[in-house]
Amino acid sequence: MSASTPFQQRVAAAVADKRVVRAVHLATLKKVEAREAGMDQLRDFEQIRSLAAQVKQHTLDYLPRYLEQFVEQIEGRGGAVHFAPDAEAARRIICDIATSRGLKRVVKSKSMTSEEIHLNQALEAVGLRPVETDLGEFIVQIDHDTPSHIVTPIIHKDRRQIALAMQRELGCEYTEDPTELTMIARRHLREIFRNCDLGISGVNFGVAETGTLCICTNEGNGRLTVSRPRVHVALMGIEKVIPRMRDLPVFLKLLARSSTGQPLTVYTTLISGPKRLQDADGPEELHVVLMDAGRSDIWAGEFREVLRCIRCGACLNACPVYRNIGGHAYGSVYPGPIGALLTPLLHPAGGHEELPRASSLCGACGVACPVKIDIPDLLVRLRAQTHRSHPLAKRVAMRMWLWAMKSPLVFRLGQRLLRGLLKDGGDGWATDGPGPLRAWTQPRDLPIPPKRSFRAIWQAELSNEDKRG
Amino acid sequence: MNLQDFLSSLTKRGGGDRERTPLPDDLESAVRQVDGNVDLIGVFAASAEAAGARVRRTSGADWLTAIAGILGDLDATRICTQAAEVGFLSRARSAELSEHLRDSGMTVSTDTGDDELFSADASITGVSAAIAETGTVVCESGPNAARGASLIPPVHVAVVGAAQIIPDLCDYFEQLPGGPELPANVNLITGPSKTADIEGTLVTGVHGPGKLFIVVVATAS
Ligand code: SF4
Repeated sequence: MSASTPFQQRVAAAVADKRVVRAVHLATLKKVEAREAGMDQLRDFEQIRSLAAQVKQHTLDYLPRYLEQFVEQIEGRGGAVHFAPDAEAARRIICDIATSRGLKRVVKSKSMTSEEIHLNQALEAVGLRPVETDLGEFIVQIDHDTPSHIVTPIIHKDRRQIALAMQRELGCEYTEDPTELTMIARRHLREIFRNCDLGISGVNFGVAETGTLCICTNEGNGRLTVSRPRVHVALMGIEKVIPRMRDLPVFLKLLARSSTGQPLTVYTTLISGPKRLQDADGPEELHVVLMDAGRSDIWAGEFREVLRCIRCGACLNACPVYRNIGGHAYGSVYPGPIGALLTPLLHPAGGHEELPRASSLCGACGVACPVKIDIPDLLVRLRAQTHRSHPLAKRVAMRMWLWAMKSPLVFRLGQRLLRGLLKDGGDGWATDGPGPLRAWTQPRDLPIPPKRSFRAIWQAELSNEDKRG
Repeated sequence: MNLQDFLSSLTKRGGGDRERTPLPDDLESAVRQVDGNVDLIGVFAASAEAAGARVRRTSGADWLTAIAGILGDLDATRICTQAAEVGFLSRARSAELSEHLRDSGMTVSTDTGDDELFSADASITGVSAAIAETGTVVCESGPNAARGASLIPPVHVAVVGAAQIIPDLCDYFEQLPGGPELPANVNLITGPSKTADIEGTLVTGVHGPGKLFIVVVATAS
């Protein structure tokens, strides 16, 4: 199902795939538990969340100044910084670095920013074959799939699908054992790492004070990507910068806990410039590609807070809607609650107006977010912005709803009318509302109204009380 | 495009009348989890084990035999070790260690070139610091301290002097130098390489070392 299929059809298809729904259910619930246990280890995680929110918001409020300092520091350490106002520029810069130096063997560590700009297709278009080396991303790549979660890209896949893809693409013997599958990937990628000449990574945090790139990973492929090749290119959104080295632990103590419940990721890598003259190994060139691509538009508007996001994935795991429709139904690189905000904000003309409505507004995402982004509130505000683009029929219906909600008489009459019109679909749910209401009831589960309304029961009870009293 | 043009999409729009959030200065009172008044070795060992590392506590007298024992149990014969002076592993101690391992029948190389690293059964490194709170060992790059040494061989043995253990993650970042002395590559290592990408099943050693041993040496001095 492609991103151009209407949102409701994508959701219907996703919900119908019981196997995926079950897999995503189990995995996200496990992660919610792990996050809560991890946070509870901290003395006062609420206060750390507040600090993290404050540091990130401060950095954004003074963003030009911190970016300037960051760039100056990287250059002072012998790194090069490139400026990409949009995705196209970022792709061109990275392809140019590769082609002008004759770099051919490209390895990548997991980077959502590179997914966002579809970097792999661009590299392939100039004749390169970038290899994704994060296990999940590697499987996505060999199975010609797309990630469905920003931290766990193959949350939607089971071992059978993975085994088949590995057997088909790597010619190995069929096995469904996760350890064996992992070791097959290790052996395959090891040879590639041994001979690579260009490594492309993302960045979790950029420290302005020292020009340091911080990358948090668990597998070790990130470390290999930034230390094995001759040239390291780091692609980074402008919102990733933080002021000082001593701000880092505030975020590090939250990031892995929010993602997987770990106190820290296995590897926290700090990169400050390319290999030094006396260093035993390491890349000779470091290129940092600073990318805007719609971020400054968000920054200048009322949704600046969204840029605090550290991409931990906690809001996806916490979200009952994500849990039931999975990541692909969102039709965007960033799914879940944060995706429902980021995607339409980054691509205002991208046809993503439906996404902010993919939420029950239960508030679980806001509670989980380590940088305290008020996701539910922002979703409502974004919905209000897109209200004007609704079809006329919907706007008229909403007006009528408003009118009914404001007048007890109309409300009561409407209730009676609906009780007569809504038919039980056979399972206690009304799926086939009359006339234009059908568009609303079809994708949703509306219970059949009971014989007597709450108001009628209430009134009867009150008059009984009166009689007794 | 140059920096100023790039930043103009921000600076032109200013939003100068917006309220701006100040930078909090006191981070530590909220962030610190562990202070110096605890059994640092004990806390470190417990956190490192929880992250999947195996910790051996030794004295100045038996650290050599402890390392040889770990490697012997694994049937490791090709060992890579650093030529550099890193933390507890001074040049003299490195030499002593190499000699001890050779006497136990192992091949020891201080060359951290590709051929050595990719064919080694295990590597031994010193560390720049160890963090009690998280059970982390820190490896910094430098002359003869290769980035690949703690990364490429399937087993990593990190040697930590007890005095190198600091209480909290924030202590490490507080003391990092900001100038040219800041190493080009620093790795905070917390447990063995891990993945849970396949149906959430934990597998170690996907890219980095699948086994991490930490030998803590408590010397009298
Ligand atoms: S919005 Fe918050 S919870 Fe969601 S990914 Fe970003 S930081 Fe994590």
